[in-house]
Amino acid sequence: MSINHAYLSGLMDRVIARNPAEPEFHQAVREVLTSLVPVVEARPEFIKEGVMDCLVEPERIIKFRVPWEDEQGNVHVNRGFRVQFNSAIGPYKGGLRFHPTVYEGIIKFLGFEQIFKNSLTGLPIGGGKGGSDFDPKGRTDLEVMRFCQSFMTELFKYIGPDTDVPAGDIGVGGREIGYLFGQYKRLRNEFTGVLTGKGLTYGGSLARTEATGYGLCYFTGCMLQDAGRSFDGETVVISGSGNVALYACEKAMQLGAKVVAMSDSAGYVYDKDGIDLPYMKDLKEVRRGRICEYAESHPGAAYHAGCRDIWSIPCGIALPCATQNELDLDAAKTLIRNGCFCVSEGANMPCTPEAVDALQAAGVLFAPAKAANAGGVATSALEMSQNSMRFSWTFQEVDDHLKKIMVDLYRNAKNAAEQYGAPGDLAAGANIAGFLKVGESMLAYGII
Amino acid sequence: MNDYIARVTENLRQRFSLEPEYLQSVTAWLDMIAPAAEDPRYEKLDLITRMVEPERMFSFLIPWVDDQGVTHTNHGYRVQFNSAIGPYKGGLRFHPTVNPSVVKFLGFEQTYKNALTGLPIGGAAGGADFDPRGRSNREIMRFCQAFMYALYRYIGADTDVPAGDIGVGSREIGWLYGAYKKVTGRAQSSALTGKGLTYGGSKVRQEAAGFGTVYFLARMLDHQGETLEGKRLIVSGFGNMSWGVCRKAAELGGKVVTLSGPDGCIYDPDGVCTQEKFDFMVHMRHSGEDRVEAYADRFGVEFYPGKRPWAVPGDAALPCAAENELGVEDAVMLLANGVRYYVEGANMPATADALKLLRLSPKILTAGAKASGSGGVAVSALEMAQNAVRYSWSRREVDEKLRAIMTGIYDASAAAAEEYGLGYDLIAGNDIAAFKIISEAMIAQGL
Repeated sequence: MSINHAYLSGLMDRVIARNPAEPEFHQAVREVLTSLVPVVEARPEFIKEGVMDCLVEPERIIKFRVPWEDEQGNVHVNRGFRVQFNSAIGPYKGGLRFHPTVYEGIIKFLGFEQIFKNSLTGLPIGGGKGGSDFDPKGRTDLEVMRFCQSFMTELFKYIGPDTDVPAGDIGVGGREIGYLFGQYKRLRNEFTGVLTGKGLTYGGSLARTEATGYGLCYFTGCMLQDAGRSFDGETVVISGSGNVALYACEKAMQLGAKVVAMSDSAGYVYDKDGIDLPYMKDLKEVRRGRICEYAESHPGAAYHAGCRDIWSIPCGIALPCATQNELDLDAAKTLIRNGCFCVSEGANMPCTPEAVDALQAAGVLFAPAKAANAGGVATSALEMSQNSMRFSWTFQEVDDHLKKIMVDLYRNAKNAAEQYGAPGDLAAGANIAGFLKVGESMLAYGII
Repeated sequence: MNDYIARVTENLRQRFSLEPEYLQSVTAWLDMIAPAAEDPRYEKLDLITRMVEPERMFSFLIPWVDDQGVTHTNHGYRVQFNSAIGPYKGGLRFHPTVNPSVVKFLGFEQTYKNALTGLPIGGAAGGADFDPRGRSNREIMRFCQAFMYALYRYIGADTDVPAGDIGVGSREIGWLYGAYKKVTGRAQSSALTGKGLTYGGSKVRQEAAGFGTVYFLARMLDHQGETLEGKRLIVSGFGNMSWGVCRKAAELGGKVVTLSGPDGCIYDPDGVCTQEKFDFMVHMRHSGEDRVEAYADRFGVEFYPGKRPWAVPGDAALPCAAENELGVEDAVMLLANGVRYYVEGANMPATADALKLLRLSPKILTAGAKASGSGGVAVSALEMAQNAVRYSWSRREVDEKLRAIMTGIYDASAAAAEEYGLGYDLIAGNDIAAFKIISEAMIAQGL
């Protein structure tokens, strides 16, 4: 797939030449540059002033050694990364990923995506990403703590509440954020909002657990409203039963929808009377049980092993909130045949590209993950705001901010898509709107 | 009490036998939180030791010259006790009795007091064995400057935020802040709290301690289905805290009928409820005479020389004067008079035995200073918040937030007491709720 623009196409070639063997990064750059063709045609200064060339080159990449000792006394050496990609609109901000697949290309890819997602939230956060090829699986708490402390003992020189504010990602949850924060505080003797995703007792934000799922429904609500519809009275199918799915379910119900199915990695339940959410929350958040137990205690519900067929349940609205590539072309065709009119991505990239094409071609309202699930990072930024002002908002206040952010985000993506000749294409609109705020700021700063 | 806590206690007794204040407050606290400290992780992580000892402590010499050109050398301290939930925060005390034990005791208590405000502030305390009494303004200014030139390298808005305490009022805070600003070259106003309104202070800071105590009492009454309307409050002291109590009580329909000073106490059956009376309290305080008899002369009410107010019947007793001002006999008197609420404003106003008697009696509901006396530090934290956003809230906004914070402290204390089967023991509940917050944050952040 080549980019239909001479300069951007050449830029893409240079990106590939300069960053060999980093296919994820190439793919992400290609996708964004493709959506930006109409923008640089209308605004050639973005090319002339070097903004496009700067956009695809991280401001700074830090790579470092992370030595640590396991409980048997063996020394391990991992590699740590932090890509400070773009600070045009705020301190670098993005997660840390601890996973064996982490290498520079993955971190660059994630950091690049983060720039646009963060910009879309309307909050002052730049783009960054980091992590390590450390595998926390099978490690004890003590080993994870030692690794986090060694990692932070190098990273602390490069981060800070006004410089770079990491968060969690795969392999970095509440436990790791706690250890990382403790070590940062010890080394600097400062208590600041240098990390987000913190526990509630030491600077975390209320409503963070709910944020992505609620945000998804706020975004979807806007999209439905513009189409003269709403959640009220609609039948909804949600895949997954993690944070995103549970709280998307909660919000959809509050907005008057009937959620009839949810899933986990083993299978799904279909409850035509509507999912019993209090039971589901207890099952998944407290007891950590399997979803088949739901059918055992709810006679009206049916359990099906395997997840693929969840999309064969007739519904008006589908919210894929489980995992990547869970909704393929066949599933999309089935949804369309059954009268589904709206698909919103709660998970990252849950729909295959063919499925997205089919849905859009059939006129189904489609909300891409980049915009629709930005509620999580938006609430990270709200955590920073609360830390900065040394005061915490109530759940209601955070939720109100989140709602406003998602509504604005939807409007911006929609308007950008219309303005640049792709009405209704919220994926392109999200890239364009995200870019414009960053690009204008880079123009303002000159060549730096 | 489990083996681990017993070992920690014994270890502290051996190592700190020469620090009685510190040892007393820590061992009393360990008794209080023992029912909630059974989690095996606490021993594995040696968490209890880390919760009762300071993270770091500084001591420094403070040389200064008096008006006659004589050089004096005092000893200054800052204990950075615990930063699990926010930058270190706690007062500075200038008093001849200040020593490492006292500062450690204050920093320890502050840690657990701050935790329940729900605001991001850790625990600290500091001060010097300097006696401001009889010193000229210039001498005190010089001392404050010398003190800050030693302290500035250890504090900062994100690190450690001192405030006032005994001997350190708004005058001293002004000089301390001026010296901090000068030596660091930065107008970082949130490096200190208790500042004047012209340079970063918060509205309601003066009234905060008294208002907070009354809000706490109001919440206790609310829980019993009562209100302050028509209630008679027995209050000691006539200083800043008592003044705040009188004002907020009057606003909510109650009346304070006693005040006290070193010379005795007064009984005003109509209540200290008018603006004229509030203003007269300020006048008495500023006169520097340190006597309350003037109130009786001015308003024609009874004065009882050498007496404390605890023999006067009423609905609630609020000690707001000094430590150990209420002994066992006084406690017995309160119970005999049918006083149903005992709410501490001052720090440690009751002797240990008196407090135990009140706490365990079913006839009176008891709230400790760590909970009902935290209005002052709560508004200090709100001052930090306003400095952080470079914006000031209105009087009403600060007052409303203060009320919500005090209500939150009450609710957390009551809930913790109930959870651990301690009935309505707000003092134990308060210690346990604070213990839970700090321990959770410390475990999360690793060793």
